Amino acid sequence: MIVMDSVSRWYGQVIGVNDVSYQIGPGVTALLGMNGAGKSTLMRLITGQVRPTTGSITVFGEEPFANPGVFERVGYCPEIDNFYEYMSGREFVYTMARMNGMNDATAKARAGEMMERVNMGHALDRKIAGYSKGMRQRVKLAQAMVHNPDVILLDEPLNGLDPVGRREFMGYLGEFSAQGKTIIVSSHILFEVEQMTRSIMLLNRGRLLAAGDVRTIREYLDRYPHRIRIETPQPRELASRLIALPYVLKVDLDEWSQAIELQTRELNQFYEVLPQLVLNENIPIRGVTSPDNNLESIFKYLIEA
Amino acid sequence: MSIASVKNLTVQYGPFTALDDFSCEIPEGCTGLLGPNGAGKTTLLKTLLGFVNPKSGSATVLDRDIRTQGKQIRQLIGLMPEQDCHIPGMTAVGFVAYAGELAGMPAPQALRRAHEVLEYCGLGEARYRNVETYSTGMKQRIKLAQALVHGPKLLLLDEPTNGLDPRGREEMLTLIRSVSHGRGVNVIVSSHVLPDIERVCDRVVVVMKGKLRMAGTIRDLKAIEGQPADVELREASPEFVRYLEQEGLLVTPTRPNTYRISTDRSPEAMTQMVFRAAQATHAQVRGFQIAERTLEEIFMEAIETA
Amino acid sequence: MSTVPNGGPIADLSYRGYDGPLESPRMRWWVIARQGIQLALKRKGLWAVMIGSAWYYLVMLIVLFFVQQVLSANPMGEAPMAAFMKRLVWKDQFLHGFSYAQLPLLAVTIMLGSGAIANDNRSKALMVYLSKPADKTDYLLGKWIGIALPIWLTLLVPTVMFYGYGALTFRQYGFISDDPWLFPKLMAVLPLAALMHSSLMLGVSSLFDQGRVAGATYAGIYFLTNFFTVLMGAAWNSSRGEAPAFVKTLYYGSLDGLLIGSFKAIMGTSGTPPFGIQAPRAIAIEPPPIVLVLGIVLGLCVISLGLAWRKIRAVEVVGG
Repeated sequence: MIVMDSVSRWYGQVIGVNDVSYQIGPGVTALLGMNGAGKSTLMRLITGQVRPTTGSITVFGEEPFANPGVFERVGYCPEIDNFYEYMSGREFVYTMARMNGMNDATAKARAGEMMERVNMGHALDRKIAGYSKGMRQRVKLAQAMVHNPDVILLDEPLNGLDPVGRREFMGYLGEFSAQGKTIIVSSHILFEVEQMTRSIMLLNRGRLLAAGDVRTIREYLDRYPHRIRIETPQPRELASRLIALPYVLKVDLDEWSQAIELQTRELNQFYEVLPQLVLNENIPIRGVTSPDNNLESIFKYLIEA
Repeated sequence: MSIASVKNLTVQYGPFTALDDFSCEIPEGCTGLLGPNGAGKTTLLKTLLGFVNPKSGSATVLDRDIRTQGKQIRQLIGLMPEQDCHIPGMTAVGFVAYAGELAGMPAPQALRRAHEVLEYCGLGEARYRNVETYSTGMKQRIKLAQALVHGPKLLLLDEPTNGLDPRGREEMLTLIRSVSHGRGVNVIVSSHVLPDIERVCDRVVVVMKGKLRMAGTIRDLKAIEGQPADVELREASPEFVRYLEQEGLLVTPTRPNTYRISTDRSPEAMTQMVFRAAQATHAQVRGFQIAERTLEEIFMEAIETA
Repeated sequence: MSTVPNGGPIADLSYRGYDGPLESPRMRWWVIARQGIQLALKRKGLWAVMIGSAWYYLVMLIVLFFVQQVLSANPMGEAPMAAFMKRLVWKDQFLHGFSYAQLPLLAVTIMLGSGAIANDNRSKALMVYLSKPADKTDYLLGKWIGIALPIWLTLLVPTVMFYGYGALTFRQYGFISDDPWLFPKLMAVLPLAALMHSSLMLGVSSLFDQGRVAGATYAGIYFLTNFFTVLMGAAWNSSRGEAPAFVKTLYYGSLDGLLIGSFKAIMGTSGTPPFGIQAPRAIAIEPPPIVLVLGIVLGLCVISLGLAWRKIRAVEVVGG
């Protein structure tokens, strides 16, 4: 749906995105990166607010810049919090719907529907100036979806929402994803991103550092062998057994926390041997976890590289 | 010793009751303050700062009455506000020193201490630059520094990781953790980002609709009775499940490839059973740990029983 | 033998609390005032305008010097000198010094105070203030003193210096005997200017988010009202004193007019031509009733400070 071909965009001398090539299809894709990495620029390129300086970007096969055909099918929920404060929530979403080309009747109906959908039915007609942060987020989401777009971009959508709101929001995104829409979410809270999707796009200083399935990316990061943490009341004994295995590269002994941490590249081999250690060698084990098998660790490894 | 003690406090704004006969004790250490938006969390923070005029009830913070000793309380508290705030036209050092002076420190002490605190918060040469040129991460650090400059006994942090990227978030949480553990500074963190609270706090207080919903140490709240285990396999294996059930263990699938296993036998026996089952059925165990409730589950449960 | 504290050779530089001395919270407003003044005094332009506001006194000093040294040395100059000295009304020199300082004083006020609350509005500085043991009254008082004090000193220093010079040099010409209450009355009226400008500037500053806009608004009020009073003055002069009395009072209906009117009313003078020149056709305009003018000045101060207070009162430190 969204095809980027060596797209670059800079502002004067400051680089926004630099030579990014990738394709984004239906489902939820997480756009990650440090502050200033180019995430907002990329979103602006996709929503057609700016034109690429070099390279090309197409959405549904067309250039998005100043293209109403694309605008009608793309929804954008930005990070900034600027509304017409004097309007009510419903009026605002209605106005946005009209700006997207809907006629009066459809816009009214859809505005009401969307507000209900985001659980704002009770505060529809109150002025936005009186809304809490969470309510404002929901209005932003409503206006991004009011015209039933096929592509939705969300920049830090969970900001300011309480845990209940976050759960609900992630639920909405799941629903849209199930409907076959393309959803691009940019967020710094990796713990939550992990629960939304396994497909990521990581930008660093404008360049695309990694893109694809999180698990696959982890496999490719073999500069960082897998870490496995085992909690046991006999860390030293376990460590001495593990060090004897040829594919165990390193063992860290933490007697104080009663745990060891080992590094290996051969996950399968190790996990096959683990039951033997427990049963035959009779070493009591309290827990087995993979501390760096999460998005936060992968992010750190990639950025550090 | 209790840091803050709230007894039957009722706070009203016109017809709206923000806190309703609210009572809680906040002990020493690091406490997380959770609650849905509009639940009274904000009002509670304002109360702890000595800013509200309650309709009834009482509260003390660090043994000072909130009604009459508000200024004294703020002498002993540092607040890191949620919103972006700074004093225009100053360098970081100037700003933090000024904050110290506003807290009553003599000017030379304030400047000396400002340097010390900025160093601790990780601001090197940048401290001589104007605050207005700072990035989000640096702004958050300055807010923390101005809260710490007068050496408060209680630190109130309102959404401390707001707007920070993953690395900044990590650094901020490490900073908070190091100040709160072993340095005699008590911390209350108000945040919606539950993983942050888990990382930094020992206890939580859950507020909802103006009332105390739940309070306790995170460890206790997370513990599940009977100490079941969560076992993750490489692939789902019905044979594995059958084997264990035949041995009399209770097996419940949770996430894909993951099962929750409980038994009234000892944990060591359970561990042996699980690995025996894995060996026998050629299933590969990839994860094994004592099951705990997540903070999110605890929170959801707390507010649902309403 | 040198020793490192805490025993070992490597110092422990991790976080520690503050156990040092603390000042009483009663003077917290002074910290705020001092900060404002220090920040403003860094600007060289401010110094220039502050000194420049005393230009009338400087010119008068030169005129008097000329009259004394040149005219009195020449036997032919005795008579003009005596006539000059007789014409000179000392308290009116202070009136002129005060009047001609008004425009520079406007610049000083704007430089000191246009951003005082406006910039804080934009950067939400009040949250920092309020989270410390400093409350809203400290803030307002501190800001107010930070503007009023420099304004007062700008007026005070040249006035006192000129007075001193006059008392020492021109005693025989009746400097003191003409009006023994001159000095106390001056001391009473000068703070009025500081009071009014400071209060009004704070009130205007609190309405905006940008210092520049607040400054422009204040200047706008000044010049618009000034223009109005110039018209009144022209009307009065052209009617040769026959116009109705309220025109005469309206002549003082501007920011500087109120201050000049108060000055005239307290000092008890209607003014004579400046620099001791002769201008027989000029018509002096009497001061307005003292109660009226003081009442308006104080009323404006109260309203402006009330505006600023209202804006400050609405700030909440936690949540939004």
